[in-house]
Amino acid sequence: MERFRYFIQRTLFSMRQSPLLCSATIGTVAIALMLLAFFTLIVLNIQNLTREWSQDIQVIVYLDTVPSDAKLQQWMDEIQQYPDIEKINYISQQQAFDRFHKRLGQNADLLEGLMPEILPAALEISLLEVARSREGTERLIDLLKTNKDFHNFRYGQEWLDRYDAFIFLLRLTGTMAGGFLIFATLFIISNTIKLTIYARRDELEIMGLIGATPMFIKAPFMAEGACQGVIGALLALGGCHVLYYFFLKKGLAALLTTTAAENIHFLPIEYQAGVVVLGLLLGFIGSLLPLRKFVRI
Amino acid sequence: MIQLFNVGKIYKNGAPALHDVSLRIPSGDFVYVTGSSGAGKSTLLRLLYCAEKPSRGQILMGERNTTRLKSRNIALLRRDIGFVFQDFKLLNSRTVFENVALPLQVQAASNQEISSRVYQVLQYVGLEYKLQRKPLELSGGEQQRVAIARAMVVNPRLLLADEPTGNLDHDLAVEIMEMFNRINESGTTVLIATHDKEMLQRFPRRTIVLHNGNIVSDSAPPEVTDNEEGL
Repeated sequence: MERFRYFIQRTLFSMRQSPLLCSATIGTVAIALMLLAFFTLIVLNIQNLTREWSQDIQVIVYLDTVPSDAKLQQWMDEIQQYPDIEKINYISQQQAFDRFHKRLGQNADLLEGLMPEILPAALEISLLEVARSREGTERLIDLLKTNKDFHNFRYGQEWLDRYDAFIFLLRLTGTMAGGFLIFATLFIISNTIKLTIYARRDELEIMGLIGATPMFIKAPFMAEGACQGVIGALLALGGCHVLYYFFLKKGLAALLTTTAAENIHFLPIEYQAGVVVLGLLLGFIGSLLPLRKFVRI
Repeated sequence: MIQLFNVGKIYKNGAPALHDVSLRIPSGDFVYVTGSSGAGKSTLLRLLYCAEKPSRGQILMGERNTTRLKSRNIALLRRDIGFVFQDFKLLNSRTVFENVALPLQVQAASNQEISSRVYQVLQYVGLEYKLQRKPLELSGGEQQRVAIARAMVVNPRLLLADEPTGNLDHDLAVEIMEMFNRINESGTTVLIATHDKEMLQRFPRRTIVLHNGNIVSDSAPPEVTDNEEGL
């Protein structure tokens, strides 16, 4: 208990004792994590946007003849058994005709005198988000082809190819830039903390001489690093929120439509907690690395 | 009891510091280690408090072979040793009280125990009225007394001092040496590395003379003269 109290006292005292070094560390953590958090915010919002696009990914099966209710139910039950199916919609000839009529808008009079029967009935099959890709779509079509009644499909192949390529690029860029940012952050934080530890190397030496165990010497420094990491992370979230509000929310609202700006969201709470935990870990590990060099008994 | 058996030390850059040193220091003894700069005095002390490992030979402190100790056990061993250095090695950001309390905090002593013991030992060195001062607000002699208080606060079995009077004027040096004598009289083994011939003559004790890493003389009572080799 005495030891625990000592560690807390030392941690708080050290932070008060060298406010400049402490502020430098917190500032470094804050800026580094703010960049990381803002980058994550942008990636997440792009992902959200693409998720909305991906809702358009569906397989349409055109039917040669209008099925009986029993037959339709049988097909729908059968398709529902396939993996990753989100929903199945039956579009009757009348519904297809109405949609077409609506889409033509001012040119709808072109359809005058035509009967709904000119358009085929169809099944619109939506996939779960995990399967909304070229692969998932082709897997579904292979399964659909096992039913001899289905042979006319449409699934926007070109669009899917471009969508897949974009998602791949987004993930690759996200992973690479995110990984780079984390390493750069760790490097910068570790070096800043190294400077603070270097400034207090006499203290480390004296602690070692009077019989402090390596852990006893390191613990207050690691606790200090973790505290600075958490404070830096909270500042980073604050800074990120300011950037989000003024650049993304207000800035984009001026450029794009209001609806598009409304779809931009701040980091979800679990990501915010993640930034704080990351700050804590970076501060902790950032202290541990130089301490390994300086604390040698 | 401290025993060294054929201890040699060669630093990583290849510089030899000690050659085949063997000696025995019984508990409660008062020993000077002397010699010119580079003779190996500080290296000998560093080996005793395990800041360095010998390149060869064995060192026994009581029943512990210090050449085989792991970090944690080295830390435990140092809790039985008090240190006094020429440059005091005090934490200038902490008060006299906090500096002296440090070894007790390391050993997880209670606040009550720390307060009473620190006050007691500061009284012993005559600085009880300056316990809230910072080291840089004190004179050199006072700083050295704080360092001695810090060394004594845990009642060490061994006190190691490396040139403890090197930065002090004559009167202060005498005062500090008298303090070491009193500490020794209380049963603590005292080992002082010094090249202060005047102090050796004024407070004669067993004296080990080192020259180029070899023991050239180990005498009690001392026979220190101006023309002695190694001084």
